Amino acid sequence: MIGLLDENLKPVADMAAGFAAKELAPRREESDKFPFGPYYDDVLNKAHELGFFGVTLPEELGGINMGLSALCVILNQLGSADASLAAVILANSYAQELMLAAGAGDALGSITGKAGKLTDFLIASPLFANPAEENLTLTATATKKGYVLRGTYDFLVLGAMAGHALVPAAMEGKPGYSLFLLHLDDSAVTLSNTVFTIGLHTCPAVDITLKDTKAVLIGEAGQGARYFDTVAPRISIAAAAIAAGIMRGSLSEALNYSATRVQGGKVIARWSELQTILAGMSIQTQCAELLVSRICGLAEEASSGWEEYTEAASLSILDMACPLTTDGIQVLGGYGYMKDYGQEKRFRDAHQIKTVLGGAPMKKLRLIRGTLKKNGVLAS
Amino acid sequence: MISQRKTHIYLERQPRFNDMMLSLKATARVPKGMIRETEEVVALARKFTDEVVRPNVSNLDLTMHSDPEYLDWEYVKKANDMGLYTLFIPRALGGKGYNISSMAYFLEEIGSACVAMSNLVGVHYLGVDTLGATWNARLLKRIFHDVREGERTGNPCLLSLATTEPNAGTDVEEVDLVERGKIGCRAERVKGGYKLNGMKCFISNGHLSTWHIVIAYADTKKPAESVVVLAVKTGTPGFSFGRMEHKMGQKACPASELIFEDCFVPDNQVGIDPEQMRKLSRSPRETYQQMIDYVVSTSRACVSAFGVSVARGAFEQALRFATETMVDGQLLINHEWAQVHLAEMYRNVLVGRLAYEQANYANDLYGFYKWFTWKPAFYFLKYVPEAIIDKVIAPMLDHPLATWLLRKLQFDLQTDAEFHCTSGWASLAKVTGTDAGLANGRLALELMGKAGVRHDQRAEKFLRDSKLLQIYEGTNQLNRINMLKCFIGSAHPEIRVFDEEG
Repeated sequence: MIGLLDENLKPVADMAAGFAAKELAPRREESDKFPFGPYYDDVLNKAHELGFFGVTLPEELGGINMGLSALCVILNQLGSADASLAAVILANSYAQELMLAAGAGDALGSITGKAGKLTDFLIASPLFANPAEENLTLTATATKKGYVLRGTYDFLVLGAMAGHALVPAAMEGKPGYSLFLLHLDDSAVTLSNTVFTIGLHTCPAVDITLKDTKAVLIGEAGQGARYFDTVAPRISIAAAAIAAGIMRGSLSEALNYSATRVQGGKVIARWSELQTILAGMSIQTQCAELLVSRICGLAEEASSGWEEYTEAASLSILDMACPLTTDGIQVLGGYGYMKDYGQEKRFRDAHQIKTVLGGAPMKKLRLIRGTLKKNGVLAS
Repeated sequence: MISQRKTHIYLERQPRFNDMMLSLKATARVPKGMIRETEEVVALARKFTDEVVRPNVSNLDLTMHSDPEYLDWEYVKKANDMGLYTLFIPRALGGKGYNISSMAYFLEEIGSACVAMSNLVGVHYLGVDTLGATWNARLLKRIFHDVREGERTGNPCLLSLATTEPNAGTDVEEVDLVERGKIGCRAERVKGGYKLNGMKCFISNGHLSTWHIVIAYADTKKPAESVVVLAVKTGTPGFSFGRMEHKMGQKACPASELIFEDCFVPDNQVGIDPEQMRKLSRSPRETYQQMIDYVVSTSRACVSAFGVSVARGAFEQALRFATETMVDGQLLINHEWAQVHLAEMYRNVLVGRLAYEQANYANDLYGFYKWFTWKPAFYFLKYVPEAIIDKVIAPMLDHPLATWLLRKLQFDLQTDAEFHCTSGWASLAKVTGTDAGLANGRLALELMGKAGVRHDQRAEKFLRDSKLLQIYEGTNQLNRINMLKCFIGSAHPEIRVFDEEG
């Protein structure tokens, strides 16, 4: 991937790769035990010191403003070793971009610009869901001093570690949904235990219950979907960058193992069926990297119609990652299924990312229904 | 219309009629009593699943996440109390004598709730089958007696099969490969028995088992000609357990390292060795392959059932979700795309089950169960009074003649075509069932979206569990090659497997 991007990003890629090799890969099995083991706060803090949590954020808001391509390069390199940290960064970036799309730079700056410790900097969000595709479970009511939220929300990503949360809620008299910012340490917020999931264990989510919790309206009332649609294509590219990293990591592990493991009297890489599997993995990884590079470019150039292409490309990459990581385990046989190697985690992480960010049928239906509406087949 | 001789010629032409129409042949041959027995074991499995498995699945999986080396003795004891570890051992050998074909259906039932807990029962029978495939009557009687005593006293006595080695996984599944493998587990002939050295790994139920059926080699440079099957008991000097693997799924079923350091195994615990094999009609190498085929023809049918069980469990969770969840103002189950999605999952379950049924039929007609499902033998073994077993049959099993007779029937009288048929169908079933398991695990997550990745929604575990099924009992790649060898290779002598240049 990096070879196809701007040469200026190579130092960023190298830094992220170095960080992944030093901080993530050696602790992969240990950190994956969360929530049954300790959380790697120190790793998160080091990533924060490097600016990983503000890559696309303007400098005046406490970020380093290096753009989407730089974010994708970092996520890709981290994802190759351990995708969970990349997912934390992605979730936080999503919340930041959503607030910027809603014109709430000041509110965002009041969080990111003043934050001392990382948890104050982080913003939880329903990253893994398009609110328009779900039944709204939070309702907002206007009060003299602002708004209060009531209801429950499932799967708030980073909910247990962030200082704030950005959530969708229905408002009486307004179609669609609106976005609200709230303090997670508010006594009117109840957090569940960490939701245990198939993968990305150190990018944890919680379910929340709100009982007249004070909240600030972000952007205009009823315009949540518009902000989401603005941000979603960029975030889908970032998700694809993580998936491409997972694919590269799986391929590298498979190549290394097959060059040393001997069965039938020769290294397994010399058996043609195994070569066929490796060839498939290699082709798909390179295609994914090419696509991520290209759609990053399209997004940054803001070429006409870039959003549709990027979403299509991202969905394709996320679709490819699951069978590829399945093969990645198969090449290692029984060892691939064990925690000693990274393959089984890549399999789990790829399926989580694909399921919630990628090719869920509802997302594909939404895309084609948009096209059908444009063509006049479906009513707008 | 056509002479008998020509009919035979036509039917032997590829694809062979017997390969194509296995179930047609089997339905006429197998005893009706097997149907009743199968109904009984499925009902028992459902009761056990409702009372013991389903209430504990989630907690046990979470416990294993937090403590990957936890051993669920309580579950094993409950299975033991319910008589599950003697269920498929012949009555003449101390068991309850249910037909072994019914085991796959039994395992599917439990596995549809948790395949790891199903394996805590099922893999015991992998040890049973491997010991059985030596057809050593005296040793079978002795060890199965221990299993029965374990049941009677409430101290479970399980068997494990120890074959995989750190440097030999696929290699130990095929004689053609093992001769080129890096084999490390050596059984050296010494006075009065064998001295065992080496390590076995990924041994399912290792830490939970009392007896370990160990595949070792008298000459590790010529393993194909020198296989020795030994029964080693936990606690034997020179035998110890190593680490328990930390797995992605099927966590409740431990995968263990077994370490042997100058471990003496007496002659009366030798299942079979080259010396005994030389008394058979085939060479030791051919007999070794025949033993492998006996074992994998049964075990792969059961692994197929595991795959089907995972496919079924994933389907059941996806169906539940679709009938409870509103999407765009109507239940998800009433969206056409979701209906097709679920129908595809259901198809995977049914096709997988059909495949392992065929493998069972092959074993009934031509393989492990051939003589046990022959109607006179089946009904005799089913209804012979306990007193006659104790006073007549059991003492006879100690006589060398019993082993000679069993080996004559099972080794010498089985034709190559017969074990090719059982082995081919078992491979086909294994691939079909386990691929169905993974496919449905994935489809369940797709249908359920973000709910699917949550542990508390009970779908993601099926996906994690499913992946191992494509690896153990021979990778699905190995099984595809075996299908080619067994079904197509006999008509094409130019086909050479595991012999690729390069």
